[in-house]
Amino acid sequence: MKGLIFSIEEFAVHDGDGLRTAVFFKGCPLRCRWCHNPEGLLPKPQRIRNHNGCVQCGRCAGACPTSDDCTACGHCAAYCPMGLIRIAGEYWEAADLALRVKRSFPAGVKGGVTLSGGEVFMQPQFLLELLECLKPLHRAIETSAYCAQDVFAQALEKLEFVFMDVKIMDDERHCHYTGVSNQRILANLETLKSSGVPFTIRVPVIAGVNDSLENIRQLGDRLRGCATLRTVELLPYNTMAGAKYPLLDWNYEETFEPPEPSRLNQLADALSQMDIPAKYRRQA
Amino acid sequence: MNDQIRKHLQWIEERQHRKLRRNLMPDEWQRICDEIRDPSKPMAERVTRRLELFLEMEQPVWMEHTHIQGLRTIIEFPDIYAPGEMDEIKTRHFVHEKGKVTNIACDYGTVLTEGLEGRRARLHAGLEQEDEAAKAFAAYTDRTLDAVEQFADRYAQLYEAHGDMARAQALSRAIRYGAQTMEEAMQCFRMIHFSFWAADNYHNTVGRFDQYMYPFYQKDIASGLLDEESALSLIEDFFLSFNVDSDLYYSLQWGDNGQSLMLGGCKRDGSSAVNELTTLAMKASLAIRQIDPKLNLRVDKNTPLALYELGTQLTRMGMGFPQYANDDVVIPGLLRWGYDIEDARDYTVAACWEYIVPNVSMDIVNIDAMPMAEVAHGVISECLPYASTFEDLLQEISCRLHNRALKMVQKHACLYMEPSPMASILMRGFLEAKRDISEGGKYNNYGVHGTGFSCAVDQLAAVRRFVFEEGSVSREELLEALGANFEGHEQLRHRLRTEAPKIGRDEEARMLGNRLLKMFAEALDGLHNERGGCYRAGTGSAMYYLWHSRELPATADGRDAGQPLPANFSPALFITRTGPLSVLRGFALSALPLAVNGGPMTLELHDTVFKAEDSVEKVARLVQSFMLQGGHQLQLNAVNREKMKKAQEHPEEYGDLIVRVWGWSGHFVELDKAYQDQIIARTEFGI
Repeated sequence: MKGLIFSIEEFAVHDGDGLRTAVFFKGCPLRCRWCHNPEGLLPKPQRIRNHNGCVQCGRCAGACPTSDDCTACGHCAAYCPMGLIRIAGEYWEAADLALRVKRSFPAGVKGGVTLSGGEVFMQPQFLLELLECLKPLHRAIETSAYCAQDVFAQALEKLEFVFMDVKIMDDERHCHYTGVSNQRILANLETLKSSGVPFTIRVPVIAGVNDSLENIRQLGDRLRGCATLRTVELLPYNTMAGAKYPLLDWNYEETFEPPEPSRLNQLADALSQMDIPAKYRRQA
Repeated sequence: MNDQIRKHLQWIEERQHRKLRRNLMPDEWQRICDEIRDPSKPMAERVTRRLELFLEMEQPVWMEHTHIQGLRTIIEFPDIYAPGEMDEIKTRHFVHEKGKVTNIACDYGTVLTEGLEGRRARLHAGLEQEDEAAKAFAAYTDRTLDAVEQFADRYAQLYEAHGDMARAQALSRAIRYGAQTMEEAMQCFRMIHFSFWAADNYHNTVGRFDQYMYPFYQKDIASGLLDEESALSLIEDFFLSFNVDSDLYYSLQWGDNGQSLMLGGCKRDGSSAVNELTTLAMKASLAIRQIDPKLNLRVDKNTPLALYELGTQLTRMGMGFPQYANDDVVIPGLLRWGYDIEDARDYTVAACWEYIVPNVSMDIVNIDAMPMAEVAHGVISECLPYASTFEDLLQEISCRLHNRALKMVQKHACLYMEPSPMASILMRGFLEAKRDISEGGKYNNYGVHGTGFSCAVDQLAAVRRFVFEEGSVSREELLEALGANFEGHEQLRHRLRTEAPKIGRDEEARMLGNRLLKMFAEALDGLHNERGGCYRAGTGSAMYYLWHSRELPATADGRDAGQPLPANFSPALFITRTGPLSVLRGFALSALPLAVNGGPMTLELHDTVFKAEDSVEKVARLVQSFMLQGGHQLQLNAVNREKMKKAQEHPEEYGDLIVRVWGWSGHFVELDKAYQDQIIARTEFGI
């Protein structure tokens, strides 16, 4: 079956061990207000228009066959003299995509594939089929785990590693900032813990949203003593988060801030005190 | 880095050494010209006299913080040709570049061990029985040896004047009778390399440093004279010596001075040649962060990841080196061209990336270029209307490559090369034979670049897919679009650029690339030059990629008329939806052993890649993967496009931005704008 992919990135250096190819699924059920991959949100192809370097020649508008609503037909891209327009979102057969990834992957070299998004579980059947096709590569996913428990469990059987986001422990605040409840997420975390699949928890840390000691300790309580947990990565809010919104002609008006470095330190220490390996990444 | 080296580095970075230079006075210039530009005298006489004068007029100057003295003070020195004389020579001869002995790798091991008197003894052995030509050669060579020895003596006097009697005596002795220690060997190297440049030879490579210097290192370690730390300092000091004059040594662009150095690989017997100096040299370069000498690293399937990681540390610094060479591809390739196995295993790199054999070879590795993109364009525009199958087009390509190769060989007849007693001293066997190296060496092969390779492949791949397989584009429409430079055919151009198969992304283009590379190599196979040498196909482009692109009309890969071609062995500039793994796989072709004249796969990595904690390991694995898949040569850049754009606007603020252009690293702001734009446009991969 076909799935919608918005990017294939070879040599993704932040997404797992060794050489990694990251495949980004398009479409996400969450609406995290700090999302820095807005082109991954909608489950349909979209036009991406880079305004930097635009010479306002108007040829794209002249070439457009649908005068009002953009259907992402991509007709305009050919007419941009500066090459600033492209379509994000391409439909791939699972077998073709797996072949594309595997063929470029050098034999005998440490590494594998990491499926990311968007949200991979927005396309569950495609995900399962793709994972099957990707054997014998080392397979990882990066997920919010906001999905049905049985699908999550089925996917775990086909995975060698999981990166799971846990954003906010308090359900009300989770709803407020991401648009969805964290009940399913936390339930799936339990499934993950008992699955035997090694995993890393990623926490985007946003000042005043989820950088309290209480939030991190609640997370720690759930993770304490879990042998398959490799580490908790604290990722400070990306101040470049708004960079890609203009490409979609969207506005980004949030004014989030990353936490102070000392706060990140405190959070990492709090986890360490619970015997949970933690690290934090500075902004690139 | 110790305090002394740090001070010396600072002194160089402040450009203090440039203040010690001078221009010749007009009357001095005239006097020299009168002597060396006299057409009635033999060339060898004029070359010899020129070097004598140059070295005599060079005023030794003292650099406070180094043990490797030697600084060129005369900015420009006249060459031996009277006005119009070279043009006249060109009417009778083929002259490659400036007609000089260049791009050779000298026998520094022997020269440093036996000293110049050792060289002289070889010259004089059996000289009595030789003919007049041999005796004349010996006379010029004797004078050259004298000039270099006397030049070194004057530096010895400078040591003496600064109270360093030990080094003064050591230098005068070592230059004549051979170095005893690594420091002496380096000081002698400096005097000799300086003289080699002064002799007007250029692209004077440094060769297999970790091999010829190793016996001196071992001896010093055994005697306790050096430990690893002091050896590292000494190498740092030695490497800095390559940076004091380097801006005076150029051919076409600043930085293109050919001071390339090879590390690692195997010995002449095939065993691993990696030793302590291999890693110390990389560490020294990492510490001083200067663009000279330019490091190359030989690897093979057994090279441990740790060595790649050390190399990656240098890449991360943004040095544009090391450039990697794969023994598993290069050595079989050299054997195919008839190099003896010991010589093939001993290979090193010329100024940029062409593979040469040290000591004995007088190959001309960059004598010409095959314009692959132009050949493909010619065949498509002329033969597409009546070709019945795609195979017909490929056969026509093959014919045209053969025809062009034959014409090339005719063009190279009657070669003129200026004599070089200096180079003859530094190479092996010429003193014994009493013969100048300019007359030819053990190997006299000519290398031919293949420019616009990926453009050629992509043109053909697009035609095969769209015209012959899908029929989605008619022959008439394609040819009309090419003729109109895509005016009114924007949709087709877009399809050609984005949907057509591209080498570095699509498997079918890769297979086609393999065939095309094989055709190019086969077009040269069996051809011989007048010196009995063969022709070597390569994957480099040098400056040809800019020259060849300017005249080239719109091409079937979607490239506009005049738009640049990618440099060397790299994917199309406008390729999208690919990544480093696909690019490396696309260019690790099984036909590469047929075409190892040299020319690197060039991969740009955005410098943010290196901010990940295990980035060094990951990049090292990436390099290793290319080699394990059969890649021949790889050069990685850590670049930041935004920074380069800013540097174009404010060159004054980016004086230290170093980039790699074709085979060498240079300061970005000092490059011509066309080159700057090219670098900015190159495919770059971020995170």
